[in-house]
Amino acid sequence: MKYLRWCTVLLLFVLHSASAHIASNGFLNLQVEGRTLSGALELALRDGEMAVGLDSNGDGQITWRELRDHQPQLDAYLQSHLSIATAALPCKLNTQSLQVNERVDGNYLWLPITATCNERPDQIRIDYRLLDEVDPSHRGLLTLTAWGGVQTAVLGGKQPMRQFAIDQPMRWQVFKEYLSTGVWHIWSGIDHLLFLVSLLLPAVLLRTGKQWQPAPLAKPAFINIVKVVSAFTVAHSITLSLAAFDVIRVPSRLTESVIAASIIVAALNNLYPQVTEGRWRIAFLFGLLHGFGFASVLTDMGLPNGARLLSLLAFNLGVEAGQLAVVFAVMPLAYVLRATRFYRRGVMPWGSSAIAMLALVWLVQRAMV
Amino acid sequence: MVSHCFSSKIGKALSHCLVLCALLLSAVAVAKPYQPSNDQQVLAVIPANARHTEKAARDLARQRIDVALRLVNGYINQARSTGDLRFLGYADAVLDPWLGDKPSADALVLHATILQSRHEFAAALQALDQALALRADDPQAWLTRATIQRVLGNYDAALSACTQLGKHASADIAELCTQSVRGLMGELPAAYARISALSSQAMPAALRAWRDSELGEMAVRLGQDDQAEHWFTNGLHFAPNDFYIKAAYADMLLRQHRAADVLKLLEGQESIEPLLLRIAIAQQQLHHPGLATSRARLAAAFAAEAQRGEGIHGREQARFLLEVQAQPQAALNAAVQNWQVQHETDDVLVLMRAAEAAHKLSSAQPAHDFVNVHALQDVRIGTLTARTAIGMTK
Repeated sequence: MKYLRWCTVLLLFVLHSASAHIASNGFLNLQVEGRTLSGALELALRDGEMAVGLDSNGDGQITWRELRDHQPQLDAYLQSHLSIATAALPCKLNTQSLQVNERVDGNYLWLPITATCNERPDQIRIDYRLLDEVDPSHRGLLTLTAWGGVQTAVLGGKQPMRQFAIDQPMRWQVFKEYLSTGVWHIWSGIDHLLFLVSLLLPAVLLRTGKQWQPAPLAKPAFINIVKVVSAFTVAHSITLSLAAFDVIRVPSRLTESVIAASIIVAALNNLYPQVTEGRWRIAFLFGLLHGFGFASVLTDMGLPNGARLLSLLAFNLGVEAGQLAVVFAVMPLAYVLRATRFYRRGVMPWGSSAIAMLALVWLVQRAMV
Repeated sequence: MVSHCFSSKIGKALSHCLVLCALLLSAVAVAKPYQPSNDQQVLAVIPANARHTEKAARDLARQRIDVALRLVNGYINQARSTGDLRFLGYADAVLDPWLGDKPSADALVLHATILQSRHEFAAALQALDQALALRADDPQAWLTRATIQRVLGNYDAALSACTQLGKHASADIAELCTQSVRGLMGELPAAYARISALSSQAMPAALRAWRDSELGEMAVRLGQDDQAEHWFTNGLHFAPNDFYIKAAYADMLLRQHRAADVLKLLEGQESIEPLLLRIAIAQQQLHHPGLATSRARLAAAFAAEAQRGEGIHGREQARFLLEVQAQPQAALNAAVQNWQVQHETDDVLVLMRAAEAAHKLSSAQPAHDFVNVHALQDVRIGTLTARTAIGMTK
């Protein structure tokens, strides 16, 4: 009997030093953008079960429903087992909706994460203690990307915490980042473009009496366009700079609502013209308000220390480049079509009405929320 | 030249880097995250003893060593039978509080087993020394010591551990221990005969499976594939989930170009990395459409392991790079690294093959020396050595 007892125990550990599965890994991918880090944490569902208990009905299977239902527990677990901080202060961790990712050793939960810091970080400290009380061989495989540079690290076990120097980007990288943000912002936030387009639609026409007539010459049409675009640019550059350097602060809800109102005004002016000559004055006046809108993007990104002016300039140039690209794409077409019924009876009244309606919806939304 | 290069620190770092790069590059094709459309879709099956609800037992194990040892035993048992490394981690967590100032012999032996499974051989031997100092008649300690010395290629030390084991365990176990080592020391036919002669009637199933897998591998080395197949099938009868026997059996089938049989043998075992490697090689032989997926999954798994800086699957990594990815240079680097960790017959083979494929025969010199010193017999090595000899005289 004695023989049998230890014999079975003995045989548990015999000979085979090979092991089959891969060890327990979590994958943490983070990208530094301005003062936020965004990315995702991937954790094997098995590890999620050990950490917080995902299998509600205890049948040994984890369904998508069971996983989703445990998002609050997973979020709480993350808050207590992962911390991301700059040299000065911890960053605020937020998560979005869970997804699933398939890997060699089974399905992983994929949790999008953002960490919002108080400042653009020079140093980032990451403390990864997931699973530490259950499986000390669990490791967090970190990939940290900043300015195109990638750092990797293995966190957990006896070394849960590591500090990473975030190389401050080269000046041209700053310039490039802010330039492209500017372009992207003008293209994705179509409210600025609609405002400009509303002011430019009549630029290829002349108001005579109660009729729109095609402008006979290219030159006055061209001058009209230049005036409107320049006035808009100068105006929003002024307020953007003032806001970016914190000279003036305007609550973003107010700015956003007034921007929507400005589009309505510009579009209505095409339907019931009040200002026919010198629309650049409308462009200038409301351009001041649009500048505050641009500034809110910069506030979210943060201006890098030592390159504040450069990044502001790059962002502004990006905005100009983005809007000029649209002007160059739309206005030659408008000029060619200006004599057609389609343009004067179709695009002018119906296009302007549609823009006004859309802006009205925005105004209501922004003022109510 | 190459061996010089690898012996220097820079060369070592460079070769690590090359292996990592090769693996990372091949790991690019990984699936994208998604939100399942069906609430009831089963995303994971949780193995027994890996539930959150067992937290109560784990908490109790902090206060009571008997509970802790039983739990650790169970986890190691499960790691052993399924090859699932996570259970070693669970065992580690439960054992850790009992490894403080004056650990007991039981705790030390279990600790050594965990370390051995992670290929931390030096630390494992140290823990065994401590355990044996406390309790010299611990058969498990001697058996684990024999196992480690054998993997390291220290056959004399392995034999003396088997002899010690014989004083405290049954004659069958001591004989199996001793003869399996002698089979690697130029006495293969005799050792094979002596293990075959052991009566298996009274053996518990696990011991029979061990015996059969030893016999199967010996038969392979003797070039008696029919016999080997008999032993592997027998062993799997007693230990149906033993992934180690399956891997050895699959290797034999692959050598015989019986790829379809490999896919049948390993069906549903894709989550076990060494078995997935055999599946991928079989799929390659068959031009099977599943190859791309297997390849991507293996690459991702090896890349993660390389990033962790652990060489647990060094042997499999080298084979993957050599046989699936056709990157002989990276495979050779991985095989050279693996040779620094372990010296089993399969490690000899992969180093020699990689060196041959990379046209750097001198890199395999340590393996040739090892074979000569121990008069290691293996028909597979015989063929390689003959080819190498021709290559070297050229």
